[in-house]
Amino acid sequence: MNIDVRHIAKLSRLHLNEEEIPKFTEEMEKILAMVEQLPPIEGEGTLLDPDHPMELREDKAQTLYRRDELLANAPEVEAGCVVVPKVVD
Amino acid sequence: MELYEYSAAKLSAMMEQGEISAHELCESVFRRIEGTDPEVHAYLTLQKEEALKQADEVDKLRRSGESLPPLAGIPVGIKDNICTKGLRTTCASRMLHNFVPPYDATVIKKLRAQYAVIPGKLNMDEFAMGSSTETSYFQKTANPHDLTRIPGGSSGGSAAAVAAGSAVVALGSDTGGSIRQPASLCGVVGLKPTYGAVSRFGLVAFASSLDQIGPFGRTVEDAALLYDAVCGPDSMDATSVRRDVTPIAPQLHASVKGLKIGLPHEYFEEGVEESTKKAVMNAAAELEKAGAKLIPLSLPSTGYGLSAYYIIASAEASSNLARFDGVKYGYRTEHFETLEQMYENTRSEGFGDEVKRRILLGTFVLSSGYYDAYYKRAKMLQQQMTREFVSVFEQCDLLLTPTTPYTAFKLGERIDDPLMMYRCDVCTVPVNIAGLPAVSLPCGRDDRGLPIGMQLIGPHFSEARLLNTAYSYEKLIGGFPPMPRLAGKEGAK
Repeated sequence: MNIDVRHIAKLSRLHLNEEEIPKFTEEMEKILAMVEQLPPIEGEGTLLDPDHPMELREDKAQTLYRRDELLANAPEVEAGCVVVPKVVD
Repeated sequence: MELYEYSAAKLSAMMEQGEISAHELCESVFRRIEGTDPEVHAYLTLQKEEALKQADEVDKLRRSGESLPPLAGIPVGIKDNICTKGLRTTCASRMLHNFVPPYDATVIKKLRAQYAVIPGKLNMDEFAMGSSTETSYFQKTANPHDLTRIPGGSSGGSAAAVAAGSAVVALGSDTGGSIRQPASLCGVVGLKPTYGAVSRFGLVAFASSLDQIGPFGRTVEDAALLYDAVCGPDSMDATSVRRDVTPIAPQLHASVKGLKIGLPHEYFEEGVEESTKKAVMNAAAELEKAGAKLIPLSLPSTGYGLSAYYIIASAEASSNLARFDGVKYGYRTEHFETLEQMYENTRSEGFGDEVKRRILLGTFVLSSGYYDAYYKRAKMLQQQMTREFVSVFEQCDLLLTPTTPYTAFKLGERIDDPLMMYRCDVCTVPVNIAGLPAVSLPCGRDDRGLPIGMQLIGPHFSEARLLNTAYSYEKLIGGFPPMPRLAGKEGAK
């Protein structure tokens, strides 16, 4: 299996430099060779577990956190908002 | 004997009877940390002052005549992917090196309500991805039984701290074996509960359909006490299962008479060291002598477990870790002009290689054109493996297997070979895939003196049966071996 690591990295928002590309390509190919060993299998790929239907809590607004507490971890804050580079001109 | 060496159950009784104070116990555990952690490196963050304050509060309540829960005053170490309000929670990643959670995980809330003492946060593989705790951004943790070897992972700090006596009990998390494998390699007890038995709210997500929080202890009873304290439904985790919870620790009994124990031959095949097979079969013979019935059986899809696991876990990880973008919390690169560059450089500088590998694999198996071949097939295999477990549990009450194919390897020995590392998990991943509970407990030593672990696997919500069987074995062998001797000023004692 050939894998285009450059493209996958782009989709993953990861930047790999020129030295890393061959290393990750080789590792990914080896890992894929391992995980490809799946048996032919019939059936539905339903992803839900009928025995354990999830129960959602009531959709009710609650005040659990203070804004300043939540923003305390943000790398850059101005006037109670997180700051990011300009995205529209 | 120093206080840190006693079991949580014994310490709880000693405090209840006024023989010792929570303050004295906390001091003893911190002396042990100061004596051993410069060599073991189990802790990432310590909070001595806060821990002593929590202990003093327990002593004050006790003096006022209040009847306290069993974990009151017991120092409980916490894996660093479980959010603790006001106490740095890093996931052992540069990405979260400065993250101070504004809230407590549900398990931490429960521990605080029990007046447990939290000495600090424990090292792990970065974002719980790894089997040796060597992918931590900060430090490598050593196995207290041999400081040149790995403690296992990803909850290596939790297992090492409990084994070394620098925590009385500890919480870890298990996505593919991350509690059981380090418990096995460090010679302690580790329980991976049924999926949905313990709330995951506040556990930093790796693979949400497989992750589960669970306890470590030096005795089965201690693991049961900690499990009792943290289990139960939670409206903050939609996957936590609503059911009545009865505490297990007070009803532990040492009887396996009539118990049917299945031995799936796939878990004893190639790749499993002879000394490990022998130790597990000796334990089976002990249980048989005590009245259990051994049933050889087969779980034919076991060999596909690793493939299904690495596809499902990586797919979920690639999605879960998309949130780390340098905007709301955690690391942000200094090198960017555009938003795109900020995302890419933040993530490339903030994540280590193993995390990148899993994100890449997960993104690949979910990408257009490959989804059906990988992710969908892995999910179908998951159902097939679950059905196989359900059908063998019609023939037996639980299963006995090795926890790991081999004992602790040397630090650095496998870190450059991801596939060799992944194979450590071959006996543990099927349990997560099927959402089952399983416990690992010590069952002997290899010829280098390194601990060997055995794994008991049960049907969904059979934690009481698993812990009872483990407790019976512990009693049959007259208790697990004492704490390893560690060099250093405190270790010589």
